[in-house]
Amino acid sequence: MKVYMKPVKMVAWFTENGVPTPVRFQMKEDDKEFLTIKVGNISERKEEKLAGNRMLIYRCQSEIEGTEKVYELKYEIGTCKWYLYKI
Amino acid sequence: MFLHILNYVFTEHTFGIIILLQGEKMMEDRIIFHIDANSAFLSWSAVNALQHGAPVDFREVPSIVGGNQATRHGIVLAKSIPAKKYGIQTGEPIIQARQKCPSLLVIPPEYYVYMRCNAAMCDIVKDFSDRIQVFSIDEVFVDYTGMEKILGDAQAVAHQIKDRIKNELGFTVSVGISSNKLLAKMASDLKKPDAVTTLYRDEIEEKMWVLPVRDLYMVGAATEKKLAKMGIYSIGDLANSEVEFLKDKLMSWGEVIWCFANGIEDSPVKPGGAIPYVKGVGNSCTIHFDVEDRETAHKVLLSLVETVGMRLRQGAFCAKLVQVSVKTSELKTYSHQRKFYVPTDCTNAIFEEACRLFDEVWKGEPIRHLGVRVSELCGNDFVQLSLLENNYEKQRQVDRAVDDIRIKFGSFSVFRAGFLHSRLSPLQGGIVEDFPAMTSIL
Repeated sequence: MKVYMKPVKMVAWFTENGVPTPVRFQMKEDDKEFLTIKVGNISERKEEKLAGNRMLIYRCQSEIEGTEKVYELKYEIGTCKWYLYKI
Repeated sequence: MFLHILNYVFTEHTFGIIILLQGEKMMEDRIIFHIDANSAFLSWSAVNALQHGAPVDFREVPSIVGGNQATRHGIVLAKSIPAKKYGIQTGEPIIQARQKCPSLLVIPPEYYVYMRCNAAMCDIVKDFSDRIQVFSIDEVFVDYTGMEKILGDAQAVAHQIKDRIKNELGFTVSVGISSNKLLAKMASDLKKPDAVTTLYRDEIEEKMWVLPVRDLYMVGAATEKKLAKMGIYSIGDLANSEVEFLKDKLMSWGEVIWCFANGIEDSPVKPGGAIPYVKGVGNSCTIHFDVEDRETAHKVLLSLVETVGMRLRQGAFCAKLVQVSVKTSELKTYSHQRKFYVPTDCTNAIFEEACRLFDEVWKGEPIRHLGVRVSELCGNDFVQLSLLENNYEKQRQVDRAVDDIRIKFGSFSVFRAGFLHSRLSPLQGGIVEDFPAMTSIL
């Protein structure tokens, strides 16, 4: 996996305690069309607080353009933004 | 690292010096930590960038945090260790730094990241003691006295704090441990980065006295020069000098630094960074262009006085003395001051006096930097009025209303129409709001 770190459009569900789980996201490469990816298996979730900035990290696996890929999503709590962190 | 921000609150040098006598042994039994973030601005920016996917760690390449050159705030605020190897120094112009290292990476300052890092650092420290003092944006004092009975040995806990900050927040700190704030601060400077160092009173001879006198807290270039003339080069030389001799040469300042050299200091850890006594309020700024006409200079003065007046009223003070300082484009500095007949906290009254002072002292050369300072403060609850002075009562009511609006809706929610379409900010100073004022008093 390489660091990609681009913001993505996200559909997620939140528990009544405010814990989000990503469901589906859209990403766009520079000159390509939007690619919609359904989040498959979430194998790990952890929180980091680097520089005091809280982020949730999800290690996920999905089929992207015909191949199974492992990637990481990041949710920045302070800005409510989702990122495709590594792929 | 001790970072100076442009706004100062001038405070009286009440250092709370004591000569330690047997009866004051209690003070000696304290355990104080000083926690200092290493290359704070740079490492905080680096960690923040890494978290947001930066391809390089700024700490591992020659890089600096520097002000904006276009607005003439282009100096080095912090540097990485590889940048240090090129001889780049904090405070030097960015142009000069680039000449030393052409591949230098210049990162703009991100004050909100720094505030967040400071808050996160304090949150971790609060798990170990409730008595903490934020001394500057990258420094915290912790009073650990008594906590050793609950949490254990001070050194082990200092290591825990250091490691938690490193693992959770991603940056390193140096921790100094001693029985007072001065020695704890000196201790954290002894070993960097990512280290815990003790400097108890019985260790000062071995660890502190061997250092050059310039390394002592509060000894700067000017004092170093004077001490060198007396044959005092190391902290040990200073500690072993006659205090009366130092008092004779340097007045009360001599006694202060003699006490510091002997590790004598007893100020408590003040939660909230409370300042014991405010002596004056000042504000200054480097303007992003050379001011060449009187009208613009007056506008800059007004933007400075707006902040000074607000701070004065927040502290419930009135000022008796106002001082204006001017730095020309050729870096020549001069100042002028005058007393009010009646102490005031009114923005307009201070502004009018500042303009008069400026007009009297300015010789017409291009101006780079302007400053306003008020001092000789007294309470604002009652003042002796004068028949000969203008009555500013209505103006003071306007000031109070404006202050209330600014506190509720932000500093720039209301400002004077004169600043519309001018290239100037209606309020100068105060890069970061809601942060304890900087002070050199422990």
